[in-house]
Amino acid sequence: MENRPLEYDYTVAKMFMLTTIALGIVGMLIGVILAFELAFPGINTILGSGLAEFTNFSRLRPLHTDSVIFGFTVSGIFATWYYVGQRVLKVSMAESSLLMFLGKLQFWLYVITVAAVVVSLLAGETTSKEYAEFEWPIDIAIVVVWVLFGVNMFGLIGLRREKSLYISVWYYIATFLGIAMLYLFNNMEVPTWLATSAAGETHIGDWFHSVSMYAGTNDALVQWWYGHNAVAFGFTVPIVAMIYYFLPKESGQAIYSYKLSLLSFWGLMFVYLWAGGHHLLYSTVPDWVQTMGSIFSVVLILPSWGSAINMLLTMKGEWQQVAASPLIKFMVLGSTFYMFSTLEGPIQAIKSVNAIAHFTDWIVGHVHDGVLGWVGFMIMAALYHMAPRVFKREIYSKSLMASQFWIQTLGVVLYFTSMWIAGITQGMMWRAHDEFGNLAYSFIDTVTVLHPYYAIRGVGGLLYLTGFLMFAYNIYKTMTAGKRLDSEPANASPMGA
Amino acid sequence: MFHWLEKHPFFFAVGVFAAIAFAGLVEIVPNFAQQSRPVIGTTPYSTLELAGRQVYIKNSCNACHSQLIRPFKSETDRYGHYSLSGEYAYDRPFLWGSKRTGPDLHRVGNYRTTDWHENHMKDPAAIVPGSIMPKYTWLYKNVTDIDTAFAEQLTDAQFFAVPYNKPVPMKDGSTKIVKLGKSVAEANAMALAEAKIVAKDMKDQDIKDAIASGKIPEIVALIAYLNSLK
Amino acid sequence: MNKLYLWGIIITAAMLGFTYLSVGTSKGGLNGDIVNTLAVTGAVVLVIITVFVVIKYVRQMQTDTADGELAEESWDNIGEYKNPVPFGWAVMFLGTMIWGMWYWVLGYPVNAYSQIGEYNEDVATHDAKFNAQYASITGDRLVEMGESVFLAECKVCHGLAADGIDGQAANLNVRIQDKSVKYVVEHGSNNHILGSEMPMPDRNGLFNANTGALISDSEIDEVAKFVSGGFKDEKSAGAKVFAGVCSSCHGMDGRGMEYVAPNIREFTPTLVTNVLNHGKKGAIGTMPAFDRLNAKQKEAVGAYITSLSK
Ligand code: HEC
Ligand code: HEC
Ligand code: HEC
Ligand code: HEM
Ligand code: HEM
Ligand SMILES: [Ca+2]
Ligand SMILES: [Ca+2]
Ligand SMILES: [Cu+2]
Repeated sequence: MENRPLEYDYTVAKMFMLTTIALGIVGMLIGVILAFELAFPGINTILGSGLAEFTNFSRLRPLHTDSVIFGFTVSGIFATWYYVGQRVLKVSMAESSLLMFLGKLQFWLYVITVAAVVVSLLAGETTSKEYAEFEWPIDIAIVVVWVLFGVNMFGLIGLRREKSLYISVWYYIATFLGIAMLYLFNNMEVPTWLATSAAGETHIGDWFHSVSMYAGTNDALVQWWYGHNAVAFGFTVPIVAMIYYFLPKESGQAIYSYKLSLLSFWGLMFVYLWAGGHHLLYSTVPDWVQTMGSIFSVVLILPSWGSAINMLLTMKGEWQQVAASPLIKFMVLGSTFYMFSTLEGPIQAIKSVNAIAHFTDWIVGHVHDGVLGWVGFMIMAALYHMAPRVFKREIYSKSLMASQFWIQTLGVVLYFTSMWIAGITQGMMWRAHDEFGNLAYSFIDTVTVLHPYYAIRGVGGLLYLTGFLMFAYNIYKTMTAGKRLDSEPANASPMGA
Repeated sequence: MFHWLEKHPFFFAVGVFAAIAFAGLVEIVPNFAQQSRPVIGTTPYSTLELAGRQVYIKNSCNACHSQLIRPFKSETDRYGHYSLSGEYAYDRPFLWGSKRTGPDLHRVGNYRTTDWHENHMKDPAAIVPGSIMPKYTWLYKNVTDIDTAFAEQLTDAQFFAVPYNKPVPMKDGSTKIVKLGKSVAEANAMALAEAKIVAKDMKDQDIKDAIASGKIPEIVALIAYLNSLK
Repeated sequence: MNKLYLWGIIITAAMLGFTYLSVGTSKGGLNGDIVNTLAVTGAVVLVIITVFVVIKYVRQMQTDTADGELAEESWDNIGEYKNPVPFGWAVMFLGTMIWGMWYWVLGYPVNAYSQIGEYNEDVATHDAKFNAQYASITGDRLVEMGESVFLAECKVCHGLAADGIDGQAANLNVRIQDKSVKYVVEHGSNNHILGSEMPMPDRNGLFNANTGALISDSEIDEVAKFVSGGFKDEKSAGAKVFAGVCSSCHGMDGRGMEYVAPNIREFTPTLVTNVLNHGKKGAIGTMPAFDRLNAKQKEAVGAYITSLSK
């Protein structure tokens, strides 16, 4: 058996590729709707005022964030794990029917959970905590899905033939542990039926309602310890796992420096968690927690940049590949956006800068140059690389991919530049006093100036969504109509015209 | 050592966990030890206010509105005294928000009124030209879920020692007691009594009729909550 | 110069220029505020560093070649060089740690820095500047100042033109509206408008000295018309009612009497200040009290409102 090449089994990976694309479309479509609702509030009643309860900005916003995070991104993480994991550990899912079963179980439970999330958010069932909106029954389902993911991960690791763990696996392990810890502690809540049954009454109100275990400032502290690190272990760590595999694999280059990988990884692990205080600057949490958040945010630049630089240096001398392959372009520009947002974040974490930036669209801009330019690009690149190998067909169209790249790049640029200007403008207007020492602007004055920027952002988002639809189409055509391959390409993915 | 860890996944995972768990302990535990205590004048939410708070959450008002006044001259000029930790002692969950698409609301009860909210929530742009806030017309029709609010109060009282039925010190030296219903029926009756007071300042005849027939539209609970933010 | 650097400069210049134009021509502006300056500097630094660092690595992609000693292992055919850590990166990493200590000990020293302390200083500085410059302004300047308060604080209810947005708040271009007068006369009033708890009796306490009877429905209509009309038609029935019922408190000319009843003929800064101190609930709705305005601001907005109905 050792002499035969391994036949990897991508069944589960394929399933999650599907949800990555489907939920990406849903999430980004809602994002575009949200963007236009702020520019043109009439759109709040897009399906008529009778349905406005479900289509207005505030009801849809959590649906956007949760479908892109827990839908698109998390699916992408699962899909890539079930692909990368087998290959760098040199073990096939087909070797263990138990793991195979658990993988499929994880997928179907995940789908059911997503459905429950959509229904409950549309109905307004939310606990209000950002990126942790769900009530406890859904929390439990999410924990089960996550545990199944962990069992699979450690199951595969247990069966591995490759003795030592590849860098990507470090990051996947960290993803699993980080999210598990954060999610559990942030979602501690007491279901109200516990109290009502003790009071001798049964079924008072909604059975799924709960009360947060933490109150006020403590609650905020736990929430942003979670919120910040959910970004870390959802938008950074697993995406770094992807780029460490897909960039060298697609380009055929060796990783530039093991030492840099090592220092970046452990640096990131240690430093990231301290930085959460930057979401609470000038709030009522103790000054020292805030100061800690600022300091560690700045220190965090280097472990973050370490990975990005390692990737850029891996491409040293390979400019012709960057120029020729849109797939590699996605990853190189992705690293660049990663560098941009991990410098922008620390700058926004400096107290005096945060005094302006916090609560404004500059933060939203920061979010999206990270998620669109880095997370989105990287997940799409990963799926493009996987497609020919899991479907055993050539990528349907290279030129489509190339136009997609430029359309989406323009989209990201429009998005973050408009939000950056909107945020700084509004932040300054909020602070402005006139010659008499009175506030210079009423709140609404600071809203109406943003109109053009909101419109530009909407256009940027629409371009990005268009690109994503091109991506979906390209993958679909690859699955169904791409030229068949009889052997797996070693690196550079084959693409049709 | 690192090479060794990379060959021993269990210890590798332990190492990662230690690295990431450490910061949380240092940052969060000390603050919990000195739990946020209510400042004088902070009272638990009445049933109707809490129901209004649930309406606020259900509609994710926190997506656009913060409830945290930072200690800057420009913010205290605009919204009033900067927020104090103890004022949030009964806030489960906290509702600070992270984006101010609309203004802060932590003390909106001081400078906006029932009738203003009534007009504004129905059609914000009609009152504030250029407003991008959605119209919340369904709040005028949907009936408030008082039962769930009452269940939440019971939970607060039982699990978190929130002082319902107990004298709470006020700023002027007096004390105030926020009552907790003894049964679902009593809680509903108390909420209705409170709703009548709010509705007296409202103009919409449908609202007045609904209240008269014993139903509390969500807007009434929401306004009771907004008025309590001081 | 290499084409890349040229592009870098163009991109940076374009972004900064665009930002400068939008932010600069917007109503915000730096205003000599250190926080504004720092934020903009941060944004500038962000673009410059990212663009030029990335260009540095792109140059290496174009001109350098990959080399170094390969590690023995490979994963799915991915190899790994044993190259050292880039020097600049390591230095910067150390640099940020040193900066962190500086920040911790000197920048925002944990033992001495308090954000509330900083706030108090800020307010003191602001107030000192404000008081020195404006404590004694009067006349048109005061009205101008009042207008600025009005636009920031009051227009959300009273409207840009202070017309009360279709009856949703008081129309401040006139002293008082017909329905408000009627309402007060019928129901009385207890709004602390005098700055004291002095109430105005309702119709059951309002005798018409001319007729010797309680005020009647038609008299209420008449007097309301007269008062809301600005005391113009001195020969009207309303004027007579006013003289008989109201003048004992509000004075013959309706300009009020200290400690007895407010001026209901025209706005005065004192009247407005009292409304701002105590709020007001009437026929139209509820006007909140405005504690967070200081005495000068209240006086100024009072002057502004007084000027509107003139
Ligand atoms: C799309 C963003 C958005 C959403 C969602 C939103 N608001 Fe607003 N809100 C605004 C904006 C912008 C303003 C300022 C303009 C205005 O007064 O209408 C505002 C103003 C307000 C004000 C007036 C505060 C003041 O100081 O003038 C209140 C009260 C308010 N909103 C309550 C709510 C409530 C309650 C909800 C949820 C049911 C909500 N808002 C949802 C954007 C929003
Ligand atoms: C016994 C004294 C007294 C008499 C008589 C009296 N008022 Fe008044 N009036 C007051 C006082 C005191 C206030 C201030 C009440 C408050 O603080 O709300 C007032 C307030 C008012 C206001 C201002 C209310 C507001 O909301 O701005 C109007 C208008 C008014 N009176 C009209 C009249 C008219 C018309 C009459 C005669 C029909 C009349 N008053 C007779 C004492 C009197
Ligand atoms: C939340 C809405 C709201 C805001 C904000 C507001 N007002 Fe008013 N105001 C009202 C309403 C409603 C009335 C009418 C009360 C009545 O007579 O029924 C009123 C009445 C008044 C009156 C008339 C008093 C009288 O005796 O006739 C004055 C003066 C006034 N407001 C000044 C101001 C000033 C100055 C500001 C800003 C600093 C301000 N208001 C802000 C709602 C508001
Ligand atoms: C060195 C790394 C980073 C630091 C120090 C950092 C810092 C910050 C800061 C200071 C804020 C604003 C908090 C506020 O004032 O509200 C923020 C918000 C945010 N950042 Fe980052 N950031 C970093 C990297 C990233 C990356 C790579 C992403 C995504 C790919 C990201 C996603 C977000 C998100 C989603 C928010 C919004 C949180 C909210 O809902 O308020 N960040 N970050
Ligand atoms: C088509 C592309 C997208 C558009 C047009 C879009 C638009 C928006 C809008 C309008 C908001 C609300 C901002 C506000 O409240 O002012 C938002 C929030 C957010 N979006 Fe997107 N989005 C897009 C794609 C994505 C993707 C792909 C992700 C993640 C992978 C993402 C993650 C987020 C997050 C985390 C927030 C919350 C930010 C915060 O609270 O600060 N978005 N988006
Ligand atoms: Ca939860
Ligand atoms: Ca947010
Ligand atoms: Cu963060």
